Amino acid sequence: MRPNLLTRRGVLLGTAGVALAAHCGAPAVARSEPLRIGLLTSLSGPFTSLGESMRAGLELLIADAGGQMGGRPVELLVEDDGGKPEEGLRKVRKLIAQDGIDVLGGVISAGVALAIRDVVTEAGLPTFISNASANALAREAASPLVFRPTKTSWMLGHTGALWTFQNIAKDGGLTVGADYAAGREYIGDFVQTFQEQGGSVGTQLWTPLGTTDFSPILTTIAAEQPSFVYAFFAGADAVRFLQQMQEYQLQDLVKLIGPGALFDQEDVVPAAGSAALGGINTFQQSPTAPAAHGFVEAYRAARGRLPGEASTAGYVTGQVIRAGLEAVAGDPSDRERFRQALLEQPIETVIGPMRFDPRNNQAVLDIYVNELVAGPDGQPLNTVVHTYAGVQDPGPAG
Amino acid sequence: MRAHAWLLCLPLAGLLALFGGDYHLRFAAEILITGTAVMSLDILVGQGRLVSLGHAALFGGAAYVSALLAIHAGAGLMPVLLAGIATGMLLALVMGLVATRSVDLFFLILTLVVGQMVYELAFHWRTVTGGADGLRGIPALALHLGGASWPMSGARSLFLLAAGLALLAYLLARSFLAAPIGRALVASREQPVRLAALGYEVRRLRLLAMVFAGGIAGAAGALYPFVNLYVGPNLVHWSMSATMIVMLVLGGVGTLHGAFVGTGLYLLVQTYLSSFTDRWQLLIGLLFVLIVIFLPDGIVRPGWRRRQA
Repeated sequence: MRPNLLTRRGVLLGTAGVALAAHCGAPAVARSEPLRIGLLTSLSGPFTSLGESMRAGLELLIADAGGQMGGRPVELLVEDDGGKPEEGLRKVRKLIAQDGIDVLGGVISAGVALAIRDVVTEAGLPTFISNASANALAREAASPLVFRPTKTSWMLGHTGALWTFQNIAKDGGLTVGADYAAGREYIGDFVQTFQEQGGSVGTQLWTPLGTTDFSPILTTIAAEQPSFVYAFFAGADAVRFLQQMQEYQLQDLVKLIGPGALFDQEDVVPAAGSAALGGINTFQQSPTAPAAHGFVEAYRAARGRLPGEASTAGYVTGQVIRAGLEAVAGDPSDRERFRQALLEQPIETVIGPMRFDPRNNQAVLDIYVNELVAGPDGQPLNTVVHTYAGVQDPGPAG
Repeated sequence: MRAHAWLLCLPLAGLLALFGGDYHLRFAAEILITGTAVMSLDILVGQGRLVSLGHAALFGGAAYVSALLAIHAGAGLMPVLLAGIATGMLLALVMGLVATRSVDLFFLILTLVVGQMVYELAFHWRTVTGGADGLRGIPALALHLGGASWPMSGARSLFLLAAGLALLAYLLARSFLAAPIGRALVASREQPVRLAALGYEVRRLRLLAMVFAGGIAGAAGALYPFVNLYVGPNLVHWSMSATMIVMLVLGGVGTLHGAFVGTGLYLLVQTYLSSFTDRWQLLIGLLFVLIVIFLPDGIVRPGWRRRQA
């Protein structure tokens, strides 16, 4: 054993010790300081592009608000959950205990949203789930301080079934979905409503998340000649599915309908190009919705593209937080008062009017039926063809 | 291994237990619990050169069993720990029976395959494991002794529990390696043919080491759900096993206590660096490369020994 080894280790240990000590001694956050908004989103992992769009959306709203909400300057703290529940939990604990955030927003993945539910509830932290759609959060896992200013899976699957039943076909269709929690929910809720309407759905096909080759499914579709295909894929999966539908020349033969993620204006349509044309989706947002008018232009000016779900969700989350804060003069520390303020008044957002269901804090939303038609630049554009007003999740009893 | 190095940790842990905040204690508990599992991997990797990519399945499998017992049966600390240890050992036995047929690359692949079977089970058996959503609503941990029961859910008691587990597991692992079976494991790494010629059954030896390490990983897994009150399928995915290997290499392979240092370093970098940059994984990668080049024995054993050897 050489003596200098010991010293070097001593130095290392000492440095670690000092860092730890400095860390523990971080001062508690005074409440009169700027209002701290935590944003938990995915800046690495499978949802990176969505996470970056969400952050851009919220930053745009904060800029639009002049960096102030309810008379207090706003400080935004962004944390990356990597799309993993364990990392998300660690980050939320850090945001709560160390950064002393006043409200939390964001969350792309349903797994992360469900995982942090108990922690934020225990901490009494007002939380706004911007994107994750798991039905459970509006039902058995609802929490008095967890608001969700976006859709549930049911709201899109249900309206998709209503539209399909009334406007496309009453039977002879099939479903195809990515085999994970969200896919099961969307497809399951679509089939349930479709059957309740009196229709019948044929084969249900599933593929693993991240499928690159859809040919087994596409040959089944080509063989069965269904009256419609209800499909759920998101992100890169959706792009590949649409492109392969086009390559198999099924795009013009089969009516394709799905939840909005299948034709997300920002995440899917630019990459899919003309393969997206003719598709139908039900979605809580649309770049052509009247309410989105100013926002779409502002977002395009900021990032050079049309907003999709994640960026719009970031912006809407900011709008809701701002509306709540303005109703309580910038002080959310009285949780019950803040909650009541959010529940009482409907909020005008860029996805349309929004009010929260007092049973589960789930937003009651207008759901748009979008058709993908060629826009002014020739690119497919989600164009509103119908609006289901005030769609409400069945909630805890449902 | 010199004793004074890790004896330094005791006062540090004491200080943390006395003055640490809720968040730091919980974070430290997570480091200690994960570190214990990584340390059990070190027995295999460091002493037996059995690089397993299925270790997270043992750790996470035990975490699932423990969480399910707590949710459905309201099990307390002791039953949860015992069930976790049993799960870890049983899964390790199955994995070992398959994987000890071979060494090196094929051992790695076979452990990966068995581990992924556990993952598939966790991911697809929705009614029991919650599928992709994982398990939530885990009740607070309590210790039942006789008729009395003590709550163990606070961050401080969780930390003390984790520290106790880590210390106990460390001492156990040390005595295992000091015992004839541990020496034989090292011999099986260095001279498997000669060891077999001496009358040892190398495969049985490796199997025993795997079951022992599985027991420790299972004990750590049993406590893990109570730190975050959540268990999800990521915990049993092979990428978690790979992360554990990275933690081990950062800290120092074959030192046992290096596992805790590496785990702490990895989680600290992940949690704090990622607040400043989206590219934190690049930094972890760079750190990994630098440590492998300049500190091949990990940060707990600075020096150039392997080069000189």
